[in-house]
Amino acid sequence: MTNELVYGAYILVWPALTLGVLAVICGAVVRDARACRKSDEDLI
Amino acid sequence: MNENGFTQFSTVTVLLLLAAFYGGTYLLTLLIRKDKEDTSGFMVAGHQVGFGMGAASMTATWIWAASFYAAATSGYTYGVSGPIHYGFWGALMILFIYPFGRRFRELAPNGHTLGELIHARHGASSQLILAGSNVLGSVISLMVNFTAAGALVSVLSPLSFETGVLVAGVGVLSYTLTSGFRASVFTDFAQLVALMAIAVVIIPAVLFSAGGPSVMVEGLSRMTDEQASLFSVDAIMNQGAPFFVAVLAYAIGNQTISQRLFAVREKNIKSTFVTATLGYGAIVIGLGMIGLMALSVGVEPINGEMNNLIPQMVSTYLSPFFVALFFVLVIGSLSSTADSDLSALSTIMMADVYGKNIAGDNPNPKVMMMIGRITMIVATVAGLIFASFSLDILVMLVFVGALWGAIVFPVIVSCYWDRVTNAAFTWSVVVAMAFFCIARFELVEMTGLTVLLFEILASAGGAVVIGMMVFGFFGRAAGLVAGVVTLIVMLVFATGFLRDYMVLVASLTAYGASALVCTVMTLLSKEERFDFDLIEKRVGSYDDVEADEAVDMIPEGAK
Repeated sequence: MTNELVYGAYILVWPALTLGVLAVICGAVVRDARACRKSDEDLI
Repeated sequence: MNENGFTQFSTVTVLLLLAAFYGGTYLLTLLIRKDKEDTSGFMVAGHQVGFGMGAASMTATWIWAASFYAAATSGYTYGVSGPIHYGFWGALMILFIYPFGRRFRELAPNGHTLGELIHARHGASSQLILAGSNVLGSVISLMVNFTAAGALVSVLSPLSFETGVLVAGVGVLSYTLTSGFRASVFTDFAQLVALMAIAVVIIPAVLFSAGGPSVMVEGLSRMTDEQASLFSVDAIMNQGAPFFVAVLAYAIGNQTISQRLFAVREKNIKSTFVTATLGYGAIVIGLGMIGLMALSVGVEPINGEMNNLIPQMVSTYLSPFFVALFFVLVIGSLSSTADSDLSALSTIMMADVYGKNIAGDNPNPKVMMMIGRITMIVATVAGLIFASFSLDILVMLVFVGALWGAIVFPVIVSCYWDRVTNAAFTWSVVVAMAFFCIARFELVEMTGLTVLLFEILASAGGAVVIGMMVFGFFGRAAGLVAGVVTLIVMLVFATGFLRDYMVLVASLTAYGASALVCTVMTLLSKEERFDFDLIEKRVGSYDDVEADEAVDMIPEGAK
């Protein structure tokens, strides 16, 4: 049972980390987009 | 399913998926299109890319189709530690370049390519060595990505390999041609969001459809001791170490990375590259786990072809809907890298070739833009032709990798040490390449003192790699100590041992020989010390030239 948990975690930690990075990147882009709209600048 | 065990889509379904992907991407670029693009926007998005867009673009660019396949192959071949020994070192390539990237930006805040910086520091010969290696790398990358598109389309549909290659080439060119790097970064974000979302779903889906963790644990009994170990020496020596050696070389030699170093807002360089490191590592290691799962459940790759592993696992365990998602994932990853290569190639031709070596005193921004777009078209056609021929690129890759290894020390040290000369830079690369070829192809008999000499050079190369990495983060004293300690350890333990790994010896020799020649020639030189402030004056914005017609206002770099 312990082995299953460890092995499962070893495989599933990567998509979890991917999800975390995705959230950080999307959050940052939304903040940048808002700031650009306020200052009337292009996002890119 | 077809007779090979892959899910088979109809021609219409695949064409619709491709049309949705490339059509959607093209429509996205209409949102950022400007009536009149300027050269700075076309090459580096005006140096104003934010953290989120920058991190997304860096991650998407560094993930290409081969990343998944190679990570899965590593998982299948080396077992538990295999995916890590592919993805971890690939991720470190992004991480270890950012301290040097900050230095590049400090020296040339208006730069577009690393070649421009080296031109301002040394002159044309050093710059063209760097630019030439960048061009070779990007053309190979384009070819590999178009080939991957052709292979995927031909495996999952009745369409031919050539059709897949052609659709990918035309699709990528269509959305990159008008806005250049701005389009590349903007679409990278959308492509990465799709790519990450699909990866997050597919990895657990395959795991649980294949029986879940309990089946994977049972599969450990099928593995050799090396495969079942997280600390496999086999995986380290054959997968991890060669990748580790290449960490700095790939980052320095790749214009797609340096372009982003010049494009991201200076204050966001660290956060951008650290986030991209995590993103790349997570996605690639995660998808590499599918190779480990294949090994655990006893799947044999169809036709013995390792690149079939992921499509095979997805086809075997998931519904056609997930296979379609996987199709989009691969097309997204290869397209994001291909559009970055097109932007990189166009920028090199615009800035390094035209701006620095052809235009003389009068670079014309309109001509530059035209050169950039023509370069994209020519590069796409070349990539399509090379991909259609299914060329064996191994020899080219070997040379490009060695060239990148040979330029690491001269490029980095030129940005910190004011005594390095153009001759030291150029000759160090030439000599390093010669020594590399002797070792890699064993042009002389590798016995006795000869092989010992190469092991000593390789030990120096190891010291350069470790020393440079430590230097980037902790400064000169720490870098020197790390380099000396590594050299002593390698001289003691690696001589007599490394000769069994001649590919590794050859790669390390390129680092070691270039560092030795560059250092010795620099120390012997009586040339005046270089004033680093000159670089900022010599590397300017080309758009300013048009804006201000006064000749004395032309930036020195544009003269």
